[in-house]
Amino acid sequence: MSTKEELLKGLKEGVIEFDEDTTVKCSEEWIKDGYNASEGIFDGLAAGMEVVGDLFAKNEYFVPEVLMCADALYAGLDLLKPHVEGDEDESKIKGEAVIGTVEGDVHDIGKNIVKLMFEVAGFTVHDLGKDVPLDQFVEEQMRTDSDLVCLSAMMTTTMVGMKKVISNMREKNPNVKILLGGAPVTGDIADKWGADGYGDDASNALTEAINMVSSLKELRKSGEL
Amino acid sequence: MEKFKVIFQPSGSRGQVEEGKTVREAAQELGVDIESVCGGKKTCGKCKVQIQEGSFEKFNIESKADHLSPIMDDEKRQLKDTEVKDNYRLSCTAEINGDILVFVPEESRSGGQVVRKAAGDIDVAIDPIIKNYYVELVPPVLEEAEGDLERLLKELEKSHDLKDLSIDYLVLKGLPDIIREGKWKVTAAIRDDKEIIKVFPGFADKKFGLAVDIGTTSVVGYLTDLETGEVISIDSMMNPQVSYGEDVMARITYAMTNDDGLEKMNSSIVEGLNKIIVGVTKKVDMTPEDILEFVIVGNTCMHHIFLNINPEPVGLSPFPPAFHHSIDVKSRDLGIRGSPGSYIHVLPIEAGFVGADNMGVVVAVAPEKQDQILLIIDIGTNGEIVLGNSKKLVSTSCATGPAFEGAQIKHGMRAAPGAIERVKISPFAKEVKFKVIGETEWHNKTQKIKARGICGSGIIEAVAEMFKSGVIKKNGTFNKELDTKRIRKNDKDMLEFVLAWKDETSIGKDISVTLGDIRAIQLAKGALYTGCKILMKHHGIDKVDKVILAGAFGSFIDKEASMLLGMFPDCELDKVEAIGNAAGDGARIALINNKLRKEADKTAREIKYIELTVDPEFQTAFMQSMYFPHMKDDFPHIQDVLDKIPK
Repeated sequence: MSTKEELLKGLKEGVIEFDEDTTVKCSEEWIKDGYNASEGIFDGLAAGMEVVGDLFAKNEYFVPEVLMCADALYAGLDLLKPHVEGDEDESKIKGEAVIGTVEGDVHDIGKNIVKLMFEVAGFTVHDLGKDVPLDQFVEEQMRTDSDLVCLSAMMTTTMVGMKKVISNMREKNPNVKILLGGAPVTGDIADKWGADGYGDDASNALTEAINMVSSLKELRKSGEL
Repeated sequence: MEKFKVIFQPSGSRGQVEEGKTVREAAQELGVDIESVCGGKKTCGKCKVQIQEGSFEKFNIESKADHLSPIMDDEKRQLKDTEVKDNYRLSCTAEINGDILVFVPEESRSGGQVVRKAAGDIDVAIDPIIKNYYVELVPPVLEEAEGDLERLLKELEKSHDLKDLSIDYLVLKGLPDIIREGKWKVTAAIRDDKEIIKVFPGFADKKFGLAVDIGTTSVVGYLTDLETGEVISIDSMMNPQVSYGEDVMARITYAMTNDDGLEKMNSSIVEGLNKIIVGVTKKVDMTPEDILEFVIVGNTCMHHIFLNINPEPVGLSPFPPAFHHSIDVKSRDLGIRGSPGSYIHVLPIEAGFVGADNMGVVVAVAPEKQDQILLIIDIGTNGEIVLGNSKKLVSTSCATGPAFEGAQIKHGMRAAPGAIERVKISPFAKEVKFKVIGETEWHNKTQKIKARGICGSGIIEAVAEMFKSGVIKKNGTFNKELDTKRIRKNDKDMLEFVLAWKDETSIGKDISVTLGDIRAIQLAKGALYTGCKILMKHHGIDKVDKVILAGAFGSFIDKEASMLLGMFPDCELDKVEAIGNAAGDGARIALINNKLRKEADKTAREIKYIELTVDPEFQTAFMQSMYFPHMKDDFPHIQDVLDKIPK
């Protein structure tokens, strides 16, 4: 029999050590012992993933480790999520984002890592997948009223499509924040094309996104939007 | 629009350049080669140049650093603080708004590459598409005054059983003179028993062709005697399109974003190829007009640009080529110099990124005729893999990125003099021995050529040796417990391992391998290994009989090093074979054997293309493949080496 603290630690460490067995075992016990599922997700699994994000930023972890951590996280999440009670704690939701790899591009590993970081940080993410028709980004934003639109591209050739999404998005909804990422993209390109931010890697994208959303929310609060 | 004077040193090229152009664009216009690995995206920092301030009487200009657009943060990130102070700029981003004198430092100069594309021996029957037929015509008389052409056709049918021949218009134009010059004795060069493409006066048994491999970075032409199959001279050059972008994606983007982009790149390769044609014939006292037939291979992007076909769809998923089938075009239609009636044959394309160059490799290796299972890997900026035997062939392409060619690597450079190409690290002291291109011995203080950077084969061996000596771990991170001054943090706060100290280099600083470089190699080799594994799955096998490394690069990497890194699945080391520039060999085979040339079209369509990224196991396979040599797979054939790695 483990204590609540031990289980939380297990969930967190299981993610960091990419140990799927541990996250599964602790999640099962967590539910069996009747603890709050949301708490297990945020203070256990997600807290572990935040550490992973740090390790990634410090170059200690690389793509394979992050993906393995993600597997451990999702294994636990699959067990805990069905037990989350109706009203989620609103304060923990940081914002809503539409994300996808742009048309013509089928590389989505980087996008998936960014999505994962967003989710553990409390974002609601609408993932459009890969090779996403350019218009779909705008449609999905309008449908979900998301705060953020995140565009990813791995190839120089497809990166060019982002420019079109940005101008269409601005026309329809100038207040949406747009974030770019992917191997060929640079901060200068993001500036030049009128995006609001650029994520050099997943953790960087997340920091940018959190800043953008909080500035949006402040604007809303002050009644400017 | 205002124009300004721009002068490049040390080449001395100068000219007037429009306001607002970048230094790199000016360099392109003035024919100055500057490295542009990332294609102007400010990510590689390899195009740095120094602005020389002051008045230069000789050139009558006042050069100032602020005659360029202000330096941006992105650009600054690629430069050291001291460099910023010394007026270094990235040529891809600094825009000209006044007269300037630009110094291109040695490390930013492209060109001078050692092109490693010798002609290998090939063993095929000589049966070229062009055959010479000698005929003696009966001169016309008043009673029988039929036309020259009809007279020639009749005689060709009578003596050689050749029916329904056509004749090239330009050949026809010169026919009366040639026939009379030969005193009614002529030799007709006939292509595929269908078209007269050249008529020689008198008897002629000589005929020549040119096989060309248009690579993304270099272009090689093999002048071949079509009678003997022998290569009589070779000429090569950097692909002049390099200044529009180093890799195929950068070039496709250039075509997409510039109205005349395709035109410009097409003319640059046509011009380049014509230079090769002049060079290769001059060496043996011949002229371009002596070439009767061309065979061209190249990746799908090079293929499209050469044929002046928009490559844009090739750059976007699902990457369809404009066409797969081989094509025959009159060389004059493409502006290529050769015998006026000559044709250019371009080999077929297998699939999007598995282009005519890979088809050249397949023609050279002929896996479709073998029982043993071959894993054929052509390593370049893109890795193309063909797997199988006479029963079944599958292929794929994986985005290895340019890391294997030394790009995206902090001290990466092309295979030119001064590039570190071999590395040994002692297992205990972690001391380094290296060898540079241009010197035959391992580096020592008395050598004239000092280290300038690391080339593709050098970075492979360096990372493999770092793994073998325990400097880095299976997952690519540094072993921080080691006590050596070679492991340190650089000015970007990133761990690195010093290969050559400042006094051993010609660039005034240490040459190192950074953690970022190792990550780039992990991604590249992971992509390659994943391609192999997924093809093996589709073929239903778990081991291969033989690994064949095509491409010049394959010949220069150490087999053990490449297996230690896990560039491809385990195999007996003796069964790993490097075959050099097989694409070029395939082009030569298609030039001298018409039957094999025709079979290539059939084979190209029989090889089943597998798209990696849609495979459900792709992400997991890729992730596991990024470890050295692999996260899970065994490597029994190098287990002894793996066991000896210091813990």
